[in-house]
Amino acid sequence: MDNKIYTKEMSQGKSVFRMIYDFLSGFKLATALLLLLLLLTWFATLEQIDHGLHATLNKYFSWKSFFFIPEINGKKIPLILPGGYYVCALLLVNMILGGVIRIRKGPKQIGNLVSHFGIIFMLLGGGVSHHFEERGNMAIYPGEVSDIAEDYFEYVIEVSEVVDGNRNEFHIIRGKYLTDLKDANHRIFDFKGLPFSLKVSGYLKNTQPVNALEIPTTNGELVTDGYYLQSIPPEKESERDMPGAYGQIIFEDGNKSAPFILIGASFYPFTVRDGERTFTVDMRKRLWPMPFQVKLDKFHADFHPGTSRPAKFISDIRRIENGKEAKVRIEMNEPMRYEGYTFFQASYGPSDAKPTDVMYTVLEVVKNPSDKWPEYSLYIVAVGMLITFLTKLVGHLVIVTNKRKNHGKKI
Amino acid sequence: MICLLLVCCEKSEERMVVEEMRKKTTKDVSPKMFATSDERFRDIKPSPVEGNAPNSWVALPAKQFRLLNYRFGESGQGEVYVSLSSGTVRDNANRWLKQFGREAMSDAEFASMEKIPVVGIEGVWVDLSGDYGAGMGADAKQGYGLAGVVAQADAQILTVKMVGPKNEVDAEKETLRNYIGTLRMTGH
Repeated sequence: MDNKIYTKEMSQGKSVFRMIYDFLSGFKLATALLLLLLLLTWFATLEQIDHGLHATLNKYFSWKSFFFIPEINGKKIPLILPGGYYVCALLLVNMILGGVIRIRKGPKQIGNLVSHFGIIFMLLGGGVSHHFEERGNMAIYPGEVSDIAEDYFEYVIEVSEVVDGNRNEFHIIRGKYLTDLKDANHRIFDFKGLPFSLKVSGYLKNTQPVNALEIPTTNGELVTDGYYLQSIPPEKESERDMPGAYGQIIFEDGNKSAPFILIGASFYPFTVRDGERTFTVDMRKRLWPMPFQVKLDKFHADFHPGTSRPAKFISDIRRIENGKEAKVRIEMNEPMRYEGYTFFQASYGPSDAKPTDVMYTVLEVVKNPSDKWPEYSLYIVAVGMLITFLTKLVGHLVIVTNKRKNHGKKI
Repeated sequence: MICLLLVCCEKSEERMVVEEMRKKTTKDVSPKMFATSDERFRDIKPSPVEGNAPNSWVALPAKQFRLLNYRFGESGQGEVYVSLSSGTVRDNANRWLKQFGREAMSDAEFASMEKIPVVGIEGVWVDLSGDYGAGMGADAKQGYGLAGVVAQADAQILTVKMVGPKNEVDAEKETLRNYIGTLRMTGH
């Protein structure tokens, strides 16, 4: 352990490495980063009122966001803020260097050390969650069985061969390979075992198919089979955005189909015929298959009197796996956790349900390897603080007792 | 897992091999083959209600509970839709009130509501503004307006609902009244 006492004069002779180390492990940096996080959270809370939660979280806390300018009530705030992801990453480095490596070691510091480990665990959990968490929903009517969750945001293109009227396997083009195909940008996708490729272009984040005879194009949009994709402003709730793009089939002999529209809102897929084989091409929200099935036995909703604000909604489900069934009740704040998936009671539908309509439940399905890490980290921090407080208390009591003893001797 | 092999054949011609696949799930149904664009983008079952929408509204595909479906207004948030449902005129009007956090109407309030003609019968005109909670657990939307009509059409309830930012709804109310006047039952 380094027992040297560094003076101001000595610090002038420090190596660059030492200066960087001191800066990164310093208490001042920790304070500045925590204040920045407070500021980011405050601005994000205000900005999400106008721009929606998903878009705001992406702007403030995504790893893709290095710097940004806050926008409150439609006005840009003249302030350049660092992305929250990098503030947290720097805080993690600061905690490891300052709170674990640099901190004085000794029995009195055990509590602090444990608390710092708890905070490090929490920051790591946030990073794991940011990169690996998946969120979707499962909508089921009473009596229905489902084995999939539908992603909240990601639209994919699915290509499948139709055999005897059924589609058994689907080739998936993930959304991240579509979102950059705006305007004339295009990409050609090849599929193993399929006799054609798919060219995709003209991606729009939020769009609707419009009949060109009813509403003529205004920006030279491509009209195909009487329809074109009209761009519309993004929705405040990003999950309501309906992306679309233009597709074109390129057959093995080089022939090309006419362009066609792919959009999440279509009732039916586009059909491709190649000789005797038939295929479908469709854009839809990504489905994730579950390792078990969920059957809704009963859904019940209570509302606050005279409002449409839900007071309580409950789903009684049956989890079916390998022929075995387990009855589970899912309600607000009482999720079901099983095999790495967490099912929360999220919503219900239809949105315009009449008193006599049958309602379906919407369960939010979350797959997050660090699901419970924040909870565990809080326990660790609590234990660390308890050790610190008890150490201080015992130390104080020992001093007081010794003082009393010494005082008695003097008398 | 998706493994996308990048092969640049020509300048800016990017090719990828798609390897991610999934199996059939309970959500996959036998598709309608060779659907036309009208079939793909519109629910072209004959609608039991028809009307002459103004040019400024964008016609959208019908949905399960929206036989006729439109968007209007600069914000893109304005919606107009025509539905047939069950219950009573009063229940349905009260449901709209509830979406704005209002109490159900008394007998006197219900009796005093403005009446307007729709599909040859008399419907009640509903006009509301405030914080709109569409349900499904979504947050209420502030500064919203609602205008529309609820009528008993034979054994069903016909509703025409316009909802959106209040200023846009206010600007379109007369257009909505004119549209309601063009609605007719088709017998389908």
